[in-house]
Parts: sequence; structure tokens; C-alpha cells
Amino acid sequence: MKLKPLLGEALNAMRVNRLRTMLTMLGLIIGVAAVIAMLAVGNGARNAVNAVVASMGSNLIIVLSGPQNSGGVRFASGSAPTLTLEDADAIRALPGVVAVAPGSGGPGQIVYGPNNWNTMVMGTNQDYLKIRDWPLADGSNFSTSEIRTAGRVAIIGQTVAANLFGSADPVGQVIRISRSPYLVVGLLSVRGQSFGGQDQDDTVLVPVTTALRKLFGSQFADSVRYIMVQGSGPTVLDRVQAEIDSLLRQRHHISAHKEADFNVRNLTQIVNAAASTTRIMSLLLGAIASISLIVGGIGIMNIMLVSVSERTREIGLRMALGARPADVLQQFLAEALLVSLGGCILGLVLGVGVIEVVKLIFHLNSQVTPSSVLIAFVVSLTVGVFFGWYPARKAARLEPIDALRYQ
Amino acid sequence: MAAVPLIRTVGLGKRYLLASGVLQALCDVNIEIAEGEFVAVMGPSGSGKSTFMNVLGCLDVASEGEYYLQGRAISTMNVNERARLRNQLIGFVFQIYNLLPRLSILDNIGLPLVYAGISAAERTSRSQALLEQVGLPDYGDFFPPQLSGGQQQRVAIARALINDAPLLLADEPTGNLDTRTSEEIMAVFERLNSKRRITVVLVTHEPDIAAHASRLIRFRDGKVEADSRGRPFDVREPAQA
Repeated sequence: MKLKPLLGEALNAMRVNRLRTMLTMLGLIIGVAAVIAMLAVGNGARNAVNAVVASMGSNLIIVLSGPQNSGGVRFASGSAPTLTLEDADAIRALPGVVAVAPGSGGPGQIVYGPNNWNTMVMGTNQDYLKIRDWPLADGSNFSTSEIRTAGRVAIIGQTVAANLFGSADPVGQVIRISRSPYLVVGLLSVRGQSFGGQDQDDTVLVPVTTALRKLFGSQFADSVRYIMVQGSGPTVLDRVQAEIDSLLRQRHHISAHKEADFNVRNLTQIVNAAASTTRIMSLLLGAIASISLIVGGIGIMNIMLVSVSERTREIGLRMALGARPADVLQQFLAEALLVSLGGCILGLVLGVGVIEVVKLIFHLNSQVTPSSVLIAFVVSLTVGVFFGWYPARKAARLEPIDALRYQ
Repeated sequence: MAAVPLIRTVGLGKRYLLASGVLQALCDVNIEIAEGEFVAVMGPSGSGKSTFMNVLGCLDVASEGEYYLQGRAISTMNVNERARLRNQLIGFVFQIYNLLPRLSILDNIGLPLVYAGISAAERTSRSQALLEQVGLPDYGDFFPPQLSGGQQQRVAIARALINDAPLLLADEPTGNLDTRTSEEIMAVFERLNSKRRITVVLVTHEPDIAAHASRLIRFRDGKVEADSRGRPFDVREPAQA
């Protein structure tokens, strides 16, 4: 039997029993939609994690000061002034470390002409932009001497620039931070919101030495809240993390079994922990999808068996008119395949709809990838062949005379 | 010497295994039917005439003896070869027409051509030509339930003729039709037999219908009871003793 009449017959049979065909497809529709949604949500989660890594900087280790116990009360990391600029310099000397940026800052009132703006003023060094992979839109990075001499220079973010300067060029202008004049040497490029929803462009960078000695002051000399460390690659991160830990314990005179007054965190670990939640959601959807696909397949088999016994006389007639067993087999297999293909296509539509809703509600960046569509097609057609085979074979094995006499 | 007969059975027998024992539905049937004959098969229910027709139609296989169609032994063929034989050599007409209700009249007539691998365009043109021959030229796009019994049977005859089969097997083709329509259908058979030399084998209960044939074979208890040729012949039941 040729392909065209074969498909025509199958479509005809599906059209005659429209409602039944739709109900048969339902299991597959749900299964395919779940597969599509699962893969898209998984992708979205991975994209989100990648975005976090990219916005924070790659191969990043963060050393936070504290925690500190005070009469049993635990303070937040970074609250105790235990890390110093000397610690940062010592870490810079470790093998596998390519960049180190200490950080310390606080809120500050910025004034330019009649405009003023309140923002986070971050003290750091010239490695900061490299670690966070954050290029300048205009101007230049801090120089080594500006860092060493605690120069009154600043690099400003796009939000600060827009609020103080409007569309004018801020580089070369002088702004006032806490009443002291600072020369704007650089303008950061647009970064957008962080994963947590903060406007990353609402910031001003000054040399860390300036922040510590001139801007905020501190009762503890040269102590910073955190040190960002960039490793040379993902493979060395664990080793570098361990070396920073032992180096700082040695410098702070803390033995290995005591609780340290600092905290070394590998950013990838933090991000992975956050990602595992979405992974569990994906797995759950995957379980629903596979169960639904199996149930859908059984539904197809069930309906095909009904269809075979309903149409026994028709099969007998076709055999009398010259249909070979293979022709009958193909006819019912084509029907099962078309039903599963239809279920697959409707499932794709439903899945895409679900993703659009998820995007709207959860602001999750999920996308239907061609590979997930391919997976859905292959799986549902496999289900169609697998569960359509038995009824089709049953039809093909009928004896023409018995089938014709069937009441 | 005569040509090979279209149909030849040698010691044909058919047994069915039932719970109550063995049923001998056919026993030692030796029949020859030449090309162009018009044969009526009669007999009471359970006489074996239906089994005989099923074997002739290659729908069923004999358990004993041999059936030769155009000189070819059927028992040695596999299912695919028998399907091809049914497709190419035999046209079936059933009592209940057996048209597929979801297919149009034209598609019903052309159905055997689907299994012969004929293209859609040729199927349609050949079906239309046959529809005209059976006197229903304008009914191609209708569906079987929209037609009367007599019209449906004409469509079924057209379907049986579509592959130019030399043999037409009709199992009580007028069983569901009134007398006038029955006569019309029989006229179609007679015309096909006389004009196109198509061999017709027809099972019937009715002597009037059998009277159209040129040969009558009577079955009783699985055996050939009588085999008479020539027209007119006595189609009444044999006198009861």
C-alpha cells in the first residue's frame, strides 16, 4: 500500500471519531507539554545561573571577614574588621591567583552642581573591573599610584551619571562625595539588574585606600569587608580556596581546628546550591512527563484495540479485496503514529503556552530549544510505534474469513 | 483438448474442529468450472455451499484435496500470494454489500486498486467508468448509506469488476433486495456473463434467481448432490420421497 492512501485512510478514521481521537491524544499532549516545559525551565535555570556567574565574575572566590562570636551572639559575615589590605596582598602572591580586589564601602551623598544623589560608594582597586568582567564605557581605570596614594578619583556607574550629569560627559568633571571633591576618571558600561534585582549601575567606585582613610574612616586601620579573588581557571578554584584558608589562618594565628574569623566562599558552589532547587523542579516535571507519556501510550493501545475489533469486518473485507497482512499492519500503525504525532504537535503548542505563562509570572528566562522539540517528537513517535504495534499486529493476523463473518 | 478450466477441485474437503467433535463441512468435492460459465450454487443451510464459496474465493483453505485456480494449486501458496490472487482474479459480491460507509462511492469502487498499487488518478477514472456501466454515473461523491440497497449492490458489483477479474463470486447477492431490484441485479450479472465472458458463481436460496444461471450445483451435507447444465432446467427442489 502506498504512503498517500495509507495516510488518507488513517486521517479519515481519525476524523470519523474526532472526540475519541482527541481523548486518546490527551495523555500524549500532557506528556509532551511537560517534556517541553521541563526542558525549557531547566534551560532557563541554567541560563539564570550562568547570568549570575557572568555578572559576578568568573572563577571567583570571595573572602568575607567574620563571623564573630560575641557572648554567643553571631554577627553577619563581613561585620567584623578582620581582613586587611595586607591580607589581600598576601593572597595575591599565591599560585593560581590572577587578580585580587579588596572591597569596603558604604552609602554616600554625591553632589554635582545643583544635582545630588545617594548611592553605594565602593572602595576597591584596579583589579575590580577585571574580576567582574566589567568594561569602562569611557575614561580610564584607577592607576597604581592613585591606589597607593589614596587619590581623590572616582569611577561612576551609568545610573549615577544619568542622575548627576544627564546626557553630559561626566569624565573629567569633579563631583563631591561627603563634601570632598573627587575627579571622575571613568564611566562604567551598562550592567543592568543583578540576579537579586539590584541596580548594579547605581554605584561609585573609589580607590580602597581612599575609602578607608579619607571617606569612611575606621577605628581599625586598613581593614576591609571582603576580598574578591579570581583564580586562573575553574579547576584550580578548590585548591586556591584551601590555600587562602590556610594562609589567612596562619596570618591571623588561628589553628586549623578552631573557628576562623573569616569566610572563604567559592561562588560557583553558592550558585550551584541555588540552581539545585530548579533542578528538582525539572526532575519533578520530567517524572510527570514520562508517566504521562506511558499512560498516553497505553491509551493509544487501548483505543487501537477497540478500533481493531470495531473494524474487524472492514479488515476482513479489505483482505478479501486483496489487502495483505502487511497492508493491514501498516494501516493501523499509520493511525497510531498519526494520533501520536497529533498529540505531539498539540502538546508542543500547549508546552509553549505554559512556558509563556511561566515567563510572565515568574520572570524566568525559559526558551523552547530545537533539541527539546526534537526529543518530544522522537519520544512520542516511539510511544506511537511501541503501543500501536500490538493492536496493528492483531489486526494483521486476522483470518479473512473469520473477520468477514465477525458480527 | 480443452483449455485449463478456470476452477478445478480435486477431492476437496474441509473439516472444522468443534467442541462436539469434527464437522465435515465439505467432503470429496470434484468440480470443474470453465471460463464463461454462469453457475448457481444451491443447497439448504449447512450444506457446505458457503464453505465451498469461501474456498473458491481463497478466503479459506481446504483441509483435504486441492483447488486449482487457472491451473495454479492454492494450498501451496502463502497468505500474500493468496491476497494477490483475490485482488487480481476474483471479484466478490456479498449479500450485505460490504461497502465501507466512510468512503465515497468512487473510493469504495477503487479500493481493490489501492492494494494493486494503482495511482489515485487512474483509480478515479476507472471507478467512474464502472459506475457508468452499472447505471449510477452521478453517484460517485455520495456515501453508501445515502444509496438504496439495489444501488449499493450495483456499486459492490462495480467494485468486484474494477480489477478486470475473470471470476465473480456472489454470495446471495439478492438476499436483501426486493423482487424487482433482484431481477435488475441479475440482469447485470447476465450481461456481464454474456457480453464480457466473466465467469459467475452465485449462491442463492431462490429458484427464480438460480434460473438465470446456465448450470446448477446442489450441495447437501457437504457433498455435491446434483450438477446439471443447460437452460431451462428444473430448479425446483427434488421431489420429496
